[in-house]
Amino acid sequence: MIKLNNIVKHFGEQVVLSDVTFEVKEREIFGLLGPSGAGKTTIINILTHQLEADSGIHEIGATSFETGLMLDEDGLYVRLNCIENLNIFADIYGIPRKKTLETLKSVGLENAAKKSVGKLSRGMRQRLALARAILHEPKVLFLDEPSSGLDPETARGIHKLIFNLRDKGATVFLTTHNMEEAVKLCNCVALLHKGVIIEQGAPGEICERHNAVKTVPDLESVFIKLTGAELV
Amino acid sequence: MRNVKAIFIKQAKDMIKNPMVLIQFIIYPVVALVMTELVVKSSEYIPANMFITMMAGIFVGMALVTSTAAVIAEDMERKSLRFLIMAGVKPHEYLAGIGGFLLCAGAVVSVVFGLIGNFTGMEFAKFLTVMIMTIAASIMLGATIGILAKNQQAATAISMPVAMIFGFAPMIASFNRTVEKVADILYTQQLNVIVNDFSANFAKAILVIVVNMTVLLIFFVIAYKKKGLKSG
Ligand SMILES: Nc1ncnc2c1ncn2[C@@H]1O[C@H](COP(=O)(O)OP(=O)(O)OP(=O)(O)O)[C@@H](O)[C@H]1O
Ligand SMILES: [Mg+2]
Repeated sequence: MIKLNNIVKHFGEQVVLSDVTFEVKEREIFGLLGPSGAGKTTIINILTHQLEADSGIHEIGATSFETGLMLDEDGLYVRLNCIENLNIFADIYGIPRKKTLETLKSVGLENAAKKSVGKLSRGMRQRLALARAILHEPKVLFLDEPSSGLDPETARGIHKLIFNLRDKGATVFLTTHNMEEAVKLCNCVALLHKGVIIEQGAPGEICERHNAVKTVPDLESVFIKLTGAELV
Repeated sequence: MRNVKAIFIKQAKDMIKNPMVLIQFIIYPVVALVMTELVVKSSEYIPANMFITMMAGIFVGMALVTSTAAVIAEDMERKSLRFLIMAGVKPHEYLAGIGGFLLCAGAVVSVVFGLIGNFTGMEFAKFLTVMIMTIAASIMLGATIGILAKNQQAATAISMPVAMIFGFAPMIASFNRTVEKVADILYTQQLNVIVNDFSANFAKAILVIVVNMTVLLIFFVIAYKKKGLKSG
């Protein structure tokens, strides 16, 4: 569904991605892991054509209409309320407006429908950004740190939603630096470090390969073993 | 067209909730009304249209330039625009939606000015023609500044002095012959000339305004080609 081959990206002198190759299969929840500054967001930006790679090939098996996107900067209209924010996109996608209320319900924001975005808590805002990303039932969903800075309960709610979307046929590409989250959520992960993918596969398998299965698979210690670096 | 309409509606809803922009569309006609009722009607020596001329000029030259610049810069700064583009909105559709709405809002305010001035028939037609043309010119000027500014703050910092020149030049011109000669090439001065005296040379005014519009359009296209709407 998503393919990257030998992607290279510099910002000035800084080499952010020196040679990135991996693949995401259809209907899988894929986690791109790496410390802060590794280049996770950069990869999403390249895949969604917001940035151009210096070299390499990449492709997504979906049009931009079939792609949903949630970034760390949510771009919501702060003076408009939740419903109004979603309605703009319902109008653009040409989907009936009753779908916006349904989508708001699915992220648990139905009681805040008329609240302006500027007055929402961080978690609510994040859920609204997710609602906007899934409003048109995209085939491919990019989620940049979907649960960062959220309390465990809200994060669990978001995880449940991601599982639901996958079950309905979506391919989910997410980034995180939370290893526990990756183990719980992803069918497949790739570890990004110093501009290359240093390991990839199912979380359980990776942990077995590196003898890091304690009571639960411990991806974090794999990462530390491979890189000598602590995750931020 | 669907996308333009969606942006148009978004802008309408946003303006109602944005006091900084909304106030500029209300305050100038209100001042014109109050001054006309209180001052003009109690004095024989003050020209009947004096405050309408003044306030309409400031409205066109200042309010429209600064608010167009602020709206576009804010949408880029908050990354809202990027989500619209990702959803398939073309940059020109976005600009048409924003500009179209501000043009309509400006036209409504123009009608209000016309009613305050008790214009009828040919006078009203001439008034609306120059108002709408000069409003369009101001929107192009504001959009150019909005595109070039890095953020909303910069947009205000740049558009204020520029708008002051266009908004206040006609007023200063009425006290100073030299300024008047220079200001004669500005579209806001032509607006001033016509509203002050509807028997003034209409063809010349229209010609100067069209030349202004052409120059501003060229500036806009250069800015757009150079920076696009991508900085968001
Ligand atoms: N537009 C840009 N111009 C210059 N440098 C950039 C730009 N975008 C990203 N970078 C740099 O590229 C590197 C990778 O950034 P990126 O945002 O992709 O990291 P990340 O893995 O998403 O980090 P985080 O987990 O903190 O979100 C960083 O060092 C960053 O400073
Ligand atoms: Mg990031």
